[in-house]
Amino acid sequence: MDYKFVPSVCPYCGTGCGVLFEVIDGKIVGTLPNKTHPVNEGKLCIKGWNMHEYVNSFMRLKQPLVKTFGRFIKTEWDEAIQVTADRFKKIIDKHGPDSVGVLVSAKITNEENYLAQKFARAVIGTNNVDHCARL
Amino acid sequence: MQAQVEQWLKEGKVDIFIGYKKVDGHVMPHFFTKENIDEVKDLVAGQAHYSLEKVATKVAAEHPDMKIGILLARDCNQQALHVLYVWNQLNPNQIQTLEAFEASSDSEQPEVSAPYKQQMGLGKSMAPKDMEAFDHAERFSRWMYEFSKCLKCYGCRNICPVCFCKECSLEHKDLVRAGNLPPEIPIFHLVRAVHMAGRCIDCGLCEEACPSDIPLRLLYRKVDEIVQDVFDYETGTSPDQSPFSVLGEKVVLEPIPINE
Ligand code: SF4
Ligand code: SF4
Ligand code: SF4
Repeated sequence: MDYKFVPSVCPYCGTGCGVLFEVIDGKIVGTLPNKTHPVNEGKLCIKGWNMHEYVNSFMRLKQPLVKTFGRFIKTEWDEAIQVTADRFKKIIDKHGPDSVGVLVSAKITNEENYLAQKFARAVIGTNNVDHCARL
Repeated sequence: MQAQVEQWLKEGKVDIFIGYKKVDGHVMPHFFTKENIDEVKDLVAGQAHYSLEKVATKVAAEHPDMKIGILLARDCNQQALHVLYVWNQLNPNQIQTLEAFEASSDSEQPEVSAPYKQQMGLGKSMAPKDMEAFDHAERFSRWMYEFSKCLKCYGCRNICPVCFCKECSLEHKDLVRAGNLPPEIPIFHLVRAVHMAGRCIDCGLCEEACPSDIPLRLLYRKVDEIVQDVFDYETGTSPDQSPFSVLGEKVVLEPIPINE
């Protein structure tokens, strides 16, 4: 028997509402708005209210997939990152760094967004950085 | 308060106690058990408005034999428990309550509505009789203005301590098809209002959870007024059967005549 409430932040949109996950025996069974959170003050939209459903969804991807010969193959993170790096390198060698664009998101943190643009400019060498809200 | 809970847990009077604890400056619901008995010193009553009763129903659904202790931090908590007993969502023999009233559901300052809302809608601090000062057409258009702001977050339903139906008619697959838009206004609100007859204990959580500032409490207060007039029943005042529980051996539905 293990019951607890775990405070967290809604990952769906850039608003960043505060939530409490109701966790029973290691499984998230419910989401409540954090009533004292300065962002949402105890309110949520329908996505936030139902966050526990996707966490437990059987369709959820829990492992990286690499597309090989037109099919998605399950693999480990190290390999997936290596494959991605190799393919990026090939594209950049052939078409130049401006053939790559980096799209960031309101759902990730400021720091992660910073890292993403740094990655685009310093590692790939392009100024093609944009935001999902402009897609 | 802490000593009492500690004693209960040690003696096995309760297996779990649902109260509040301050985490990172936020008062949050917390489960206290014998295993983490040291935490009981962090138990607070606080001003937080969470429905611990609803949390208890989830615990009871998973572990029906568990003895549950609940902190009553607001006057409406006990009423909500009564309603849950009436509707067999909790077994009163399994529940221990500890009163630590700090906040009242009516302690908030009445809110002054913005000018546009004053002109078009209905204020949160209105009583049913203030609303009835408007004639029918005016009242209808004001309610429709309020309902039209609804963004169908269903937060009012999710947070409500006495909303516990397994199959909510607002989501039932025979009534609302998957992939279709949810029920139109004002159907959604009126279905919920009718379902709150004899259940709503006026705790105000729905209104607090509504991102669209809809005076939901006023709507359910009106429903409650009708319940009192027609059935002479005061919701949540006792764990005895309600005129709306139509299952069982005894017929309890005895409407009193309406004198128009
Ligand atoms: S609850 Fe809704 S508004 Fe709040 S962060 Fe999540 S998706 Fe955005
Ligand atoms: S006031 Fe709202 S949340 Fe509270 S019991 Fe009534 S309908 Fe439910
Ligand atoms: S909480 Fe307000 S906005 Fe959300 S579904 Fe209820 S009435 Fe609509």
